[in-house]
Amino acid sequence: MARPKPTTGYLAPIALAAGIGLLVCSLANTLSREGMDPSLLYWAGILLIALPIFWRLTSRDASRGERLALVCLLGISLYLVKVVRDAPLFTFSDELVHAFNADQIANHHHLFRYNPILPVTPNYPGLEGATSAVIGLTGLSSYGAGIVVVGAARLSLMIALFLLFSRVGGSARTAGLAAAIYAGNFNFFFWGAQFSYESIALPLFVVLLMAVAERDASPREWAREWAVPIVLGIAAIVVTHHLTSYAVAVFLALLALVYWGLRRDWSWPNPWRYAILAAVLATGWLVLVANSTFGYLGPVIGEAFEAIFNTASGEAPPRGLFQGKGSSIPSTPLPARAVALLAVALLAAGVFFGLRRFWQRYRREPFPLIFAAASIAFFGTLFLRLAPAAWETGNRLSEYLFVGLAFIAALSGLQDWRPSRWPWLGRAALTAALGVVLVGGAIAGWPWDLQLSSPIRASANGGTISSGPLALAEWARHNIPKGERFGASTADARMLMTPGERVALAGKTPDIQDLLEETSLSDWELPLLRREGIRYVVTDRREISSDATRGYSFSIRGEEPELMPRSSVTKFADLPGAKRIYSSGDISVYDLGPGQ
Amino acid sequence: MKGQGDLRLVGAAALLCTLLALLIPIDGVALVFAIPLLLFLPGYAITAAAFAKRPLPAPQFLLLSLSLSLATLALGGLVLNYLGGIHPLSWALLLLLVIFAACRVAAVRRRTSGKRLRLPRPRLSGLQAAMLLGTVAAAVLALVLASRSVPADDALGYTQLWILPQPGSADSEAQVGVRSQQQTSVDYDLRVRIGDDLVLRRSFRLGPGETRLVKLRTPLGTEGTVPVVATLLRHNRPFQVYRRVKGSLTAPRGSG
Repeated sequence: MARPKPTTGYLAPIALAAGIGLLVCSLANTLSREGMDPSLLYWAGILLIALPIFWRLTSRDASRGERLALVCLLGISLYLVKVVRDAPLFTFSDELVHAFNADQIANHHHLFRYNPILPVTPNYPGLEGATSAVIGLTGLSSYGAGIVVVGAARLSLMIALFLLFSRVGGSARTAGLAAAIYAGNFNFFFWGAQFSYESIALPLFVVLLMAVAERDASPREWAREWAVPIVLGIAAIVVTHHLTSYAVAVFLALLALVYWGLRRDWSWPNPWRYAILAAVLATGWLVLVANSTFGYLGPVIGEAFEAIFNTASGEAPPRGLFQGKGSSIPSTPLPARAVALLAVALLAAGVFFGLRRFWQRYRREPFPLIFAAASIAFFGTLFLRLAPAAWETGNRLSEYLFVGLAFIAALSGLQDWRPSRWPWLGRAALTAALGVVLVGGAIAGWPWDLQLSSPIRASANGGTISSGPLALAEWARHNIPKGERFGASTADARMLMTPGERVALAGKTPDIQDLLEETSLSDWELPLLRREGIRYVVTDRREISSDATRGYSFSIRGEEPELMPRSSVTKFADLPGAKRIYSSGDISVYDLGPGQ
Repeated sequence: MKGQGDLRLVGAAALLCTLLALLIPIDGVALVFAIPLLLFLPGYAITAAAFAKRPLPAPQFLLLSLSLSLATLALGGLVLNYLGGIHPLSWALLLLLVIFAACRVAAVRRRTSGKRLRLPRPRLSGLQAAMLLGTVAAAVLALVLASRSVPADDALGYTQLWILPQPGSADSEAQVGVRSQQQTSVDYDLRVRIGDDLVLRRSFRLGPGETRLVKLRTPLGTEGTVPVVATLLRHNRPFQVYRRVKGSLTAPRGSG
């Protein structure tokens, strides 16, 4: 067979394989919605996308441009795997919250509108502001506009990773492999691909790192030109996501200190000025615009520390790995657990060998030094997964630390292992290892039972039917005036917000959750409902309706949901003037009448 | 002036994309023109302005074009929020302003150097082009497949019943709705009681996804507010209440 021209290499056939892999994943999700279990087909589709890309990235003869294109192909293909899971609806809990914000901006023409479930999110309007622009200029829904914006961010992320690693490591081959390893981070498949503020902030963070690295490598007289992307990047991150803005400030401060430590000099290229700018902007935004962030992040971090202490001291049992919160949630199968653990072991081995190479070649360079520290810290965050309230904090930290880990692991050099009898063995082993890391990361980062989609809409006898929460949202959208407020369980409230476009309160603040779950009325409930202006109370007997990740789909025959006592629903009929105006079986809506 | 062709092209493309995105009422077509305007041209112009005096390699230039466009959108909402509001037209004007201003800065800064982006032009054989087209076709097919509703035989069907006051009727009229989310066609009996009287009884069949709406009015001679109870039964279980909702009707002023 004739060898393809060197300009594009094997990009075209590999892209075709990725396209077919995506189609296989889409088919697997379709079969899953039909009630089958096509897990093997799904993972085969993932590997069909990834393995040819990994194999080519390990080769010596791919051009820099081809490697960059392959890295982009990997990122976009895996992003589309998430898109085909849910199209054409958002179904991740945070997506429904952010889509509500975007709709609010598009409908009311101003930022900082109220969000009843995550009040902190309107204070970081970067994502939703950008999405509102797409909505306004295209007429797309928040779903359509959202997947365009996050898709653009994903593309930015992949290019930025490649260029960052390429600049820091000085090798396009290492850069391609490091970007491929990054795709194995626990949040790459789903969490980082959802319509949420972090999904645009993290790519901008990596672009910023790339810009700082390029500035460092530029002649001094040209370095000033990088100020524009760096300053714009910092500002955009600050208005987009709290944690990422703090990560920027911390990273730049650390980088400035490492520069000083290595060179005993604060002058150029030490980026201390940018560190101060990032810290000032992030702090200013936090204090002046988004002070509710204290109340949002404070308890999360506080509980994480408490959980770590309790688990470490033996006061509380450690959290079981691969375990959901409820007994009804299916556990991760043993082979899948084994793949996830093997992925972590392979990453550890990669980091071990990568650190040796780092020590030989890069230990006097600021970026690799921080990357090395991050790669070690990543394994520290794994222990946070053992503490019940700390695992989420560890999970979030991991995607930032994984930037460093990916670089260090890519230095391990397995691709260069060429036994004389099987010179391809090193490349094959690395390709397989990357496949395990990718699949293992996806398994570790997202519950097993949620990897494939569940039916939310279905066709039946020529018509289309919707799940209970979705049908409720569609009903509310068509029948209830926009200004009215609902109190509902976690999943129902999110659906009422998107696509229902109605204000719905849920959770503990205010305490809607207890109000819905108690079997009799207490004297605090009606005053609370009146104080919050809630006219419509949505009761949902399905216990899973309090699960923000699983509560949206149809109940399945043979897997009927656990139900709350009937009295938890009927108690609202005792409220003066309350009427049950809607019933769909498990879900009812009580109209409490206009507020006093 | 030499070396400014790309900036002229960016300016013209921005203008054209703005007009077409705003004027074309079909979402998918508008998207084709809006995407460059939103996600490429602002970043390109800013990058061209920032790096006017030295050539930036194409990958870095393209990355900054994309990511600085995103940054412009993220920050642009904030600017518009305090300048009259976030509307399609205000977005279009802001983006045009950013693009033209940055292009102007780039043109002025480039005068002495004439540096511009040189994009690589990959050569594709017919077979490679066909494979890339196949990739796009597979991706489109995957998205279409994902967007289609498919049968879910094990999904448990149900039926919605509701009662709501008719808007604008001052509660003198109400509407009872039944929507089937069942897997098959189902025969229903709807009974409505106003006060103590059974005033309405309807039998009907609904297929999956079909809706039946029934309007109610305050009966003549009614005074004040009377309760309304709508009860839904299924033909296969005629003695078992399937759904029940409650509302009320208020006699219009001056009636009775």
